[in-house]
Amino acid sequence: MNTATGTAPAMPVQMEEEPAASVSLARRIGTFLARQYLAGVLLVLVALLSVFQPAIIGAGNINSVLLQAAITGVSACGMALLIGTGLLDLSVPGVIAISALTAAALLPNTTIGVAIAGALAVGALAGLINGVLVAYLKIASFIATLGTQYLFLGIAFIVTEGGIVPIESYYYRSMATQSLGPIPVSFLVLLVVAGLAYGLLYWTHFGRGLRAIGSNERAARLAGVPVSAFKAAAFVIAGVSFAGAGVFLSGLLSSASGTMALSFELNAIAAVVVGGTALRGGRATLAGTVVGAVLFSYLSNALNLLGVASYWQYVLTGTVLAVAVAAGSLRRGPEARGAD
Amino acid sequence: MPEQSVLEATTVPTAPSGATKPRSRRVLGSGVIDSLVVAGPLVAIVIVAWAIAPNFMTGANISNILSNAALLAIVGFGMTLAITVRGIDLSVGSAQAFAACVTGISVNSLGVVPGILIGLLAGVVVGALNGMLVTLFAIPAFVATLATMTAMRGVALLTTDGTSVYISDPHFTQLATLSFGGVELSVVVAILLGIGTWFLVRHTTLGKHILAVGGRPQAAAESGIRVSRVLLVVYVLAGLMVGIAAVLLSSRLAVVNGTYGVGLELQVIAIAVLGGTSLAGGRANVVGTAIAALLLATVNSTLNLLNVPSYWQYVAVGLILLAALSVDGIRRMSKSRTGRASQAGGAA
Repeated sequence: MNTATGTAPAMPVQMEEEPAASVSLARRIGTFLARQYLAGVLLVLVALLSVFQPAIIGAGNINSVLLQAAITGVSACGMALLIGTGLLDLSVPGVIAISALTAAALLPNTTIGVAIAGALAVGALAGLINGVLVAYLKIASFIATLGTQYLFLGIAFIVTEGGIVPIESYYYRSMATQSLGPIPVSFLVLLVVAGLAYGLLYWTHFGRGLRAIGSNERAARLAGVPVSAFKAAAFVIAGVSFAGAGVFLSGLLSSASGTMALSFELNAIAAVVVGGTALRGGRATLAGTVVGAVLFSYLSNALNLLGVASYWQYVLTGTVLAVAVAAGSLRRGPEARGAD
Repeated sequence: MPEQSVLEATTVPTAPSGATKPRSRRVLGSGVIDSLVVAGPLVAIVIVAWAIAPNFMTGANISNILSNAALLAIVGFGMTLAITVRGIDLSVGSAQAFAACVTGISVNSLGVVPGILIGLLAGVVVGALNGMLVTLFAIPAFVATLATMTAMRGVALLTTDGTSVYISDPHFTQLATLSFGGVELSVVVAILLGIGTWFLVRHTTLGKHILAVGGRPQAAAESGIRVSRVLLVVYVLAGLMVGIAAVLLSSRLAVVNGTYGVGLELQVIAIAVLGGTSLAGGRANVVGTAIAALLLATVNSTLNLLNVPSYWQYVAVGLILLAALSVDGIRRMSKSRTGRASQAGGAA
């Protein structure tokens, strides 16, 4: 990752402090809120937009925003693990496409459970390929996964001959779209996934290793962390989370195709970064990631309702990403900003 | 990967302080060898394509391959510079679409010369934007250009409202295929820009600074090089190259569209890395980039001639990139193994 950071002379070496038991709850909440400053900015934007278009805060719309947020959020949880490790995965659109196509191909012949398991297995395999390229062949993660994005998309296009594979299973579709009250089930799944990712990152030996790699890879290696194996494992877990997003997305669309999730990697990265996770690695906030996914979905949904041309969504996504990263990067002070 | 940065510095020939002659000769030699390493596969692929693809060795096809390679190579020279300073430019495809759309619209409304200038300016603006995000806001290049890649795609689609704009001026549309003794203008421009980039890297102060910043940023800054300015210039140059390629492309196709250049970044990174420019920074191989552009254009054209569905080209380009990256990674790994002893003492 450092190969691409331009002028950064050395990775910042300080490890994120473990929250000590003596730190008061109020202070921890304060720190958490301070990291969510961008979420606050987006919240204000949403409030302003709601004034112009009251339908934005209607119950039906909230449901559809949460559905969309669940898909972005599940993949963003995997992305957050990788970013905490100082890695990045741009192959999300490819992984979503091939895993959803796997589910679509299995569904007519098997149960929903087997189809989902098949999709997740394909996601794990794709993650393993990324992991081997990055951890063992030492290719910078963003460029290795840029290559595999086109590889996976190419496979998806070849399998479908550029077309769309419909999904007719009623139960598969309702699995992805049904709700408990106003809350979609997929959003509850997102909360569980985010909780699992948090537990993995902060309560396990493996997660401690990932954060150590993200803080200072060489120090982690010298401290005996199996860096390559842990990196590869992080990619496998992220691959499974992208496949999970692929399952929900294909259920929502009732179909799978090579183009179903194009430029989805931006949404996942933006949700993580807007949520307050710094790209330098070493830590990741999963609660922030969920908030980021919800607000991001809310904003693009509001633009849709306001009748803004869909091309503006590209401009918006790119701008939000740049602003979020720039704000995070300026906040961390000049000493970490490079050699100039 | 800090160990690589320390290590790579030992092979930088033109570090401002203490560059010695034997070193620069060695690096120049290895540059020639790296170019030959790419030329080998190119010759092999040409022979295979000649054998299996009908109509491969026809004048029309060769000229088509050359002009495709020229457009790839022009963008590739800018990418080579960006990778040399340890950066990357993922926005080239969107920037090309944006610059092409702007060119098309301005040629139609303002005329040929203003149209071309505005098209070039559009490329420079995107490059300057990338450069400012990287230097002023200290955003890692791959994220900054990922953001501009998305944003500029939206802007490109907005400029033409998602439709195609046809360019009516015959003077403009004949420009790219203008023949100089059988060689098209785009090929001539690519050769001139290649020589210019090579000269810039090898024989100018700015080039020495580019190599120094890429080889060891901190040392470069400590020896008085204004790193931010070098980075900004590199991204602006990369943007200018994209603008030039966009003008030639819109002249050749006589129609512009906001969807141009999707996936271009992958092809261009592939040719730069395949050409021997290391992602570790500090080493540029301009000749290698040009040869690799020919290789990729030959592969694409052969797949077309064989009627292979275009999806396979995605896979082919992805595999070529990953193969080139693996070679780069393995080369760096073997170097860091042999260099570890000397590095232990040299690390600051």
